[in-house]
Amino acid sequence: MLKKSVLALAACVLAGSAFAAPEKPECIAPAKPGGGFDLTCKLVQSALQNGKYLDAPMRVTYMPGGIGAVAYNTVIANRPAEGGTVVAFSGGSILNLALGKFGKYTEKDVKWVAAVGADYGAVIVRADSPYQNLKDLIEATRANPGKIVYGAGGSVGSQDWMKSALIAREAGVNYKNMRYVAFEGGGEAMTALMGGHVQAYTGDASEVAAHLKGGRVRVLAVLSPERLPGELTAIPTAIEQGYKVEWTIARGYYVGPKVSDADYRWWLGSFDKMLGSPEFDKLRAERGLFPFNLTGDKLADYVGKEVKRYTLLAQEFGLAGQ
Amino acid sequence: METLSLLMQGFAVAGTPENLMIALVGCFLGTIVGLLPGLGPINGVAILLPIAFAMKLPPESALILLCAVYAGCEYGGRISAILINVPGDAGAVMTTLDGYPMAKKGLAGPALSMSALASFIGALVATIGIVAFAPLLAEWAIAFGPAEYFVLMVLALCCLGGLVGDSLPKALTACLIGLFLSTVGIDSNSGIYRYTFDLLHLQDGIPFIVIVIGLFAVSELMLMLQNAHAAGEPISVTGRLMFNTQEFMLAKWTMLRSALSGFFIGVLPGAGATIASAMCYAAERRMAGKDHQFGQGDIRGVAAPEAANNASANGSLVPMLTLGVPGSGTTAVMIGALTLYNITPGPTLFQDQPVIVWGLIASLFIANVMLLVMNIPLIRVFVKFLSIPNWLLVPGVAAISLVGVYAVHGTTFDLILGTLIGGLGYLLRVMNFPIAPFILGFVLGDMMEQNLRRALSISDGDPSILFASPIAIGLWVAAAAMLIGPRVMKAIDARRVPQEAVAH
Amino acid sequence: MSERIFGGVLLLMSLAGIWIGWDLRPPVSYEPVGPRAFPLLVLALLGVCAVMLMREKTSDTVWAPPPVLRRIGALFLIVLAYALLFDKLGFIVATALMTIPVARFFGGSWKQSVAGGLGLGVGMFIFFDRLLDVALPTGLWLNGILG
Repeated sequence: MLKKSVLALAACVLAGSAFAAPEKPECIAPAKPGGGFDLTCKLVQSALQNGKYLDAPMRVTYMPGGIGAVAYNTVIANRPAEGGTVVAFSGGSILNLALGKFGKYTEKDVKWVAAVGADYGAVIVRADSPYQNLKDLIEATRANPGKIVYGAGGSVGSQDWMKSALIAREAGVNYKNMRYVAFEGGGEAMTALMGGHVQAYTGDASEVAAHLKGGRVRVLAVLSPERLPGELTAIPTAIEQGYKVEWTIARGYYVGPKVSDADYRWWLGSFDKMLGSPEFDKLRAERGLFPFNLTGDKLADYVGKEVKRYTLLAQEFGLAGQ
Repeated sequence: METLSLLMQGFAVAGTPENLMIALVGCFLGTIVGLLPGLGPINGVAILLPIAFAMKLPPESALILLCAVYAGCEYGGRISAILINVPGDAGAVMTTLDGYPMAKKGLAGPALSMSALASFIGALVATIGIVAFAPLLAEWAIAFGPAEYFVLMVLALCCLGGLVGDSLPKALTACLIGLFLSTVGIDSNSGIYRYTFDLLHLQDGIPFIVIVIGLFAVSELMLMLQNAHAAGEPISVTGRLMFNTQEFMLAKWTMLRSALSGFFIGVLPGAGATIASAMCYAAERRMAGKDHQFGQGDIRGVAAPEAANNASANGSLVPMLTLGVPGSGTTAVMIGALTLYNITPGPTLFQDQPVIVWGLIASLFIANVMLLVMNIPLIRVFVKFLSIPNWLLVPGVAAISLVGVYAVHGTTFDLILGTLIGGLGYLLRVMNFPIAPFILGFVLGDMMEQNLRRALSISDGDPSILFASPIAIGLWVAAAAMLIGPRVMKAIDARRVPQEAVAH
Repeated sequence: MSERIFGGVLLLMSLAGIWIGWDLRPPVSYEPVGPRAFPLLVLALLGVCAVMLMREKTSDTVWAPPPVLRRIGALFLIVLAYALLFDKLGFIVATALMTIPVARFFGGSWKQSVAGGLGLGVGMFIFFDRLLDVALPTGLWLNGILG
């Protein structure tokens, strides 16, 4: 602690000298610490520091509220020109942006910098569950939608719920007729699954690895386009099993709309360089994220497409106009 | 002995130089907060919580800091009680009865050292009690599902009986306001926003820290202005500092008895340090027979309440750690600290976060040794803090509190909201509404509602799920006992000592 | 009397809350209970409590004498202004401006108050922003100097 403070103090003194890097580097995690946004910020913090891209250490600050809504609005309205400030976003932020939960701003109101990794949905049951693969679960849901209770860590309209609703759709069950219980975060949902309170949990791939080792759960499918590297290689995708369900949760950063071109280009350049390095792959893997690299205009295109896709899904699932 | 090895692991966590340092700072700050009249453990913990968070302390270190502050406050409260006849916090009210007379007789030194020893014994007994009982309680707490959680919240609200104060409608009103405020924000089941008035900052609900700072820091400042009476000059500590053997022999059983009963009173949710110290003082006074000087400076009169209030403060950590149910305002704030770190307090805490739980317990042992050392040889240092002028103290507290809120969320919206809630808190406190039910209602409300709804969705609307498991039934019985118990006790007590009014 | 007024205000607010909450209906719902029941129940009980407060005969509320009350009101407004101006003026200036009048209320002399205010503002800024890494606003107009 003390050492860090002394370093910070020293860095503050040094920050006066002129370098190309933006001043006062800061990453805003739009949530409480410990979650995915925090992790995203810590990733760029350590990557920038290890690669010596910055002289001053990057601060990580927290601005919770509405999966990024508060941070999105604060950056656009109050801090639009801070070249050193990047804000973490996730697929969940894009979803809420599409649902109009971010207030009056759209995806065109910030400058998208980079997506650096992704997580994918996963369908999980208890180790002693009778369902051996995704087909078993989907057929059981088709046969008796009232008997299978899905649980997950998000409310109706959240990503976790969408995953459940998409599985139910594959079973030919209307989203209104499936049974779904929302828990407070993935941890509680996982506990409820293991306690036998719900039969299936539509969670994320990154969180199952630890539980898989304990032998307490079975992963029926990952919702990624292709099989995942690492420990989850043995798990088939939903697409392989004949169901077109895919759920990608991209993670990355944006900056305010009035950040100078020089600073914006510095960030793009730095990320392009970082994302190509094996050190970054290692840092990303340590944090349980899978490779998913997009920068600049490509990312902006991706976000635009996702917003359109989510808007359509929201209309289908009766969530529009909320 | 699994418990012992876990405790050893805890000492490894608490014994790192960094955490030792944190405990030391916490003890020091806690003693000061405790001795300043007007600021008690809940203010201390409330003000330091966001700062610990802002310093990016890991969760176990943050909890160690808060618990050291909590323990320190219980020690510090007695200093001003003895030297200026103003209790530094509510738990030290009873200490004034004999402490101040002793000081006037020139026995300030022995009064301070004996009460420090009593505090230590109380805390030590209670910490051993935590080690003995908490893992047992946590053992069966693992099987909790939404239904059991819901009944647990009902139990916690029933325990509020102990915090009611004088007027039932006022306590209920305070609790209901807290419950209502907990519904603001996104509903975690249906995903719709409730009572956010289209304000983005309210989407996740009113942050706990904002409520706490508003109620316990901002409104406190306003009350301090209202009660700005010139406290008497502190009596200076002259003569011998230590109690002698005779005094020790007189008080030793008093301390042990009060420590044990204080612990068990503390474990009961709702009954706090104030009640424990009053009950133990009254009991010791009754047991002393005719030959006593209670009220005129009896050494047992400082030993009993101090042992009891420290034991009960530590005892109230048992329901917090095992069940996630706050037993007092201060533990409610600590639960808030855990949620700030995305750690769900509750029955699975022992299993999921052994580092935090056992590190915390071990640090209680360490902190109390530190406090004993600080409070006997170094007592004169602390006496100096009694003379910090309010014109420096109050603005300092105001600025530190609001910086803390800003550090957690980084927006001024929360500062404004906290100030407005502080205004409401002032009105409530002037009108004698108890504040603890407010904060407990706020903490419990969301868990209570969501778990009830979850339980009923799992059972598809069948309410029998709420009575299905032996745990749930046991909790219902306990809840009923908490409602009826205090009344029965009061009736028995009233019959036994009709002539002696039990000090409140 | 205070309780009656407070009870009356509380009653109106709980009625308003019930009126607002009546329309809380989710687009999709899987639960037998729904998001509306709990707040409405709490507000209804709050309304009942408000009526009970209004009917309480004895009052043990003791308000401070008017001059003190005025100062308490001023203290509240000063803290509120502090919250509003926190990031516009920057931490140091806002803190100094808040501290000086508050210190005066608590019996500090002008000299003490000004010294205390400047000391707290600068000292806490150094402590939190520079040592503890808590980003505090420097204020728009000081940005250039403190970087």
